Amino acid sequence: MNVFKKTNIGKLLIIFLIIFALFIPFILGSNQYQVLLATTVLLYGVMATSWNIIGGLAGQLDFAAFAYLGLGAYTSGTLLIRFNLTPWIGMILGGVIAAGFALLIGIPLFRFRIKEVWYALTTSALVEILKVSFNMWEEVGGPVERCLPYFSGSLLHMRFTSYIPYYYMMFAMLIIALFLNQRIASSKLGYYLKALGEDESAAEVLGVDTQTTKLKALLCYSFLIGMTGGIYANMYGYIHPSFFNGQETTKIAILGIVGGRGITYGPLLAALLLVGAQEYLRASLGGEFSGLYLLIYAIILIIVVLFKPRGIATFVQDAYKKIITGEVKNKDVV
Amino acid sequence: MSSETILKTSQLTKCFGNLIAVKNVDLEIQRGEIIGLIGPNGAGKTTFFNLITGLEIPDKGKILFKNHDITFMSPHRICKLGMSRTFQVTRSFGEMSVEDAIRVGAYNRRGEKEVQKKVDWVIEFFDLSDIRRSKCNDLGLASLRQVEVARAVATEPDLLLLDEAGAGLTGAELFKLMAALKKLNQETRITLCVVEHVMPMVMGLCERIFVLDAGELIASGNPDKVCNNQRVIEAYLGGGISLETGFTG
Repeated sequence: MNVFKKTNIGKLLIIFLIIFALFIPFILGSNQYQVLLATTVLLYGVMATSWNIIGGLAGQLDFAAFAYLGLGAYTSGTLLIRFNLTPWIGMILGGVIAAGFALLIGIPLFRFRIKEVWYALTTSALVEILKVSFNMWEEVGGPVERCLPYFSGSLLHMRFTSYIPYYYMMFAMLIIALFLNQRIASSKLGYYLKALGEDESAAEVLGVDTQTTKLKALLCYSFLIGMTGGIYANMYGYIHPSFFNGQETTKIAILGIVGGRGITYGPLLAALLLVGAQEYLRASLGGEFSGLYLLIYAIILIIVVLFKPRGIATFVQDAYKKIITGEVKNKDVV
Repeated sequence: MSSETILKTSQLTKCFGNLIAVKNVDLEIQRGEIIGLIGPNGAGKTTFFNLITGLEIPDKGKILFKNHDITFMSPHRICKLGMSRTFQVTRSFGEMSVEDAIRVGAYNRRGEKEVQKKVDWVIEFFDLSDIRRSKCNDLGLASLRQVEVARAVATEPDLLLLDEAGAGLTGAELFKLMAALKKLNQETRITLCVVEHVMPMVMGLCERIFVLDAGELIASGNPDKVCNNQRVIEAYLGGGISLETGFTG
């Protein structure tokens, strides 16, 4: 039917959203705190979008997002402190270290077919184990927070006096994560991930090497988050074991599920709505009603789970379909 | 027809605790045949399928597929060699569309460029165009079984194992499935091995039948011969009943 019209609307919408996102720092420009909040929302967007590869497409309930973020942050931060290595390279090495670590964890995990709750438990334990380990590892700072040098700013060392550059870097990461997601979802790897996420035995007998396929997904996910960790460390200007955040790591999976597993923009949408609402509420209500933001956050969460169990993105999908075709679906029911 | 052995098992045995599910089974399947594997519930048919597709590892014995020893090979490598199967209880990719599910199978032998062509061919062959965009979760049992056969066929196997593909289908649906399978066998020389309780399907389709009972191979041969084998009748239905009355289409 209207193939041209359909793609055009989608493309226009994406371009409009990108331009809008690019202008946000200018709108908030006078208030550095709000730029930081906007960057934080993007950070969760990147992480949830990356999570979508392993958690959404492959259906593995992964809770280790902040483990890879912490590893990336520590790699990039320590290399800068100790060897004065520019974080522009450090963040890529951060991704490599995170992915390498994921490989070490992933091989035995998938080899012995650890999945579902056991996979979830293993990965969430990972964050705690790393936290304790880094607390004891004196060479990288131990329990003391280590500040990154170049307080006064240096482009070469990825240190800025404003949060705006970090916002754009995070935005670039988000575009990369979304792009990679989309590419994977429409390729052989994506179809294989979706299939094994639904039923591993059925996928196996159709020629899907579930171990290797899951490993590939895990590597993409951990590499993206590891790289983001490099930006994270520089944005906050220090590294500390609290980066291995056991509470926040669960939130990434929640965002991924609430947003819509396997839908490219789903987790991002959830991050924008939930983390956006949370940060806004925390900023505006924090003084008077501390903790109220958690309550409202929880209510939004419950509403979403009740009415759109397949994710917020399905709401958008349905609406989009209606606009495009001008009719309700339901045609394909047998 | 040249008789080339495609699958050969020797002394295949699998135990679950004290239960011997499959016991010293020796059988040979020739390329291009349609084989029936029958037996009462619990005879070990599904376990036998699990063993040769690599989902379970045998305790004893050897499996040769196209002259490769696949006894301890993993399922996806066996599939790459050219064997696929369907499941007794349908294992669909619920959130995927019919087309996508078939695409997963088609990727087994086809690269990104050719895969769509293969998918279209399979959809055409199994007459699934009406439901190609439907989610598997929205499908009825008959369609689900067809999709499952279709996605296995999309892997382009030389040997296709169907585990009760006809169970729960109406007469018309069964006839359609049988016709498609027969056509497939004639056009592509695919070897079929069907586990089935629905007798018209077995009788109408198969050239040779193996009968399992309590894990043991108790008879083999053409359908008429097996049907009149007293031991089979006793094991399978109890004494005195003809197998042909098992189902009325």
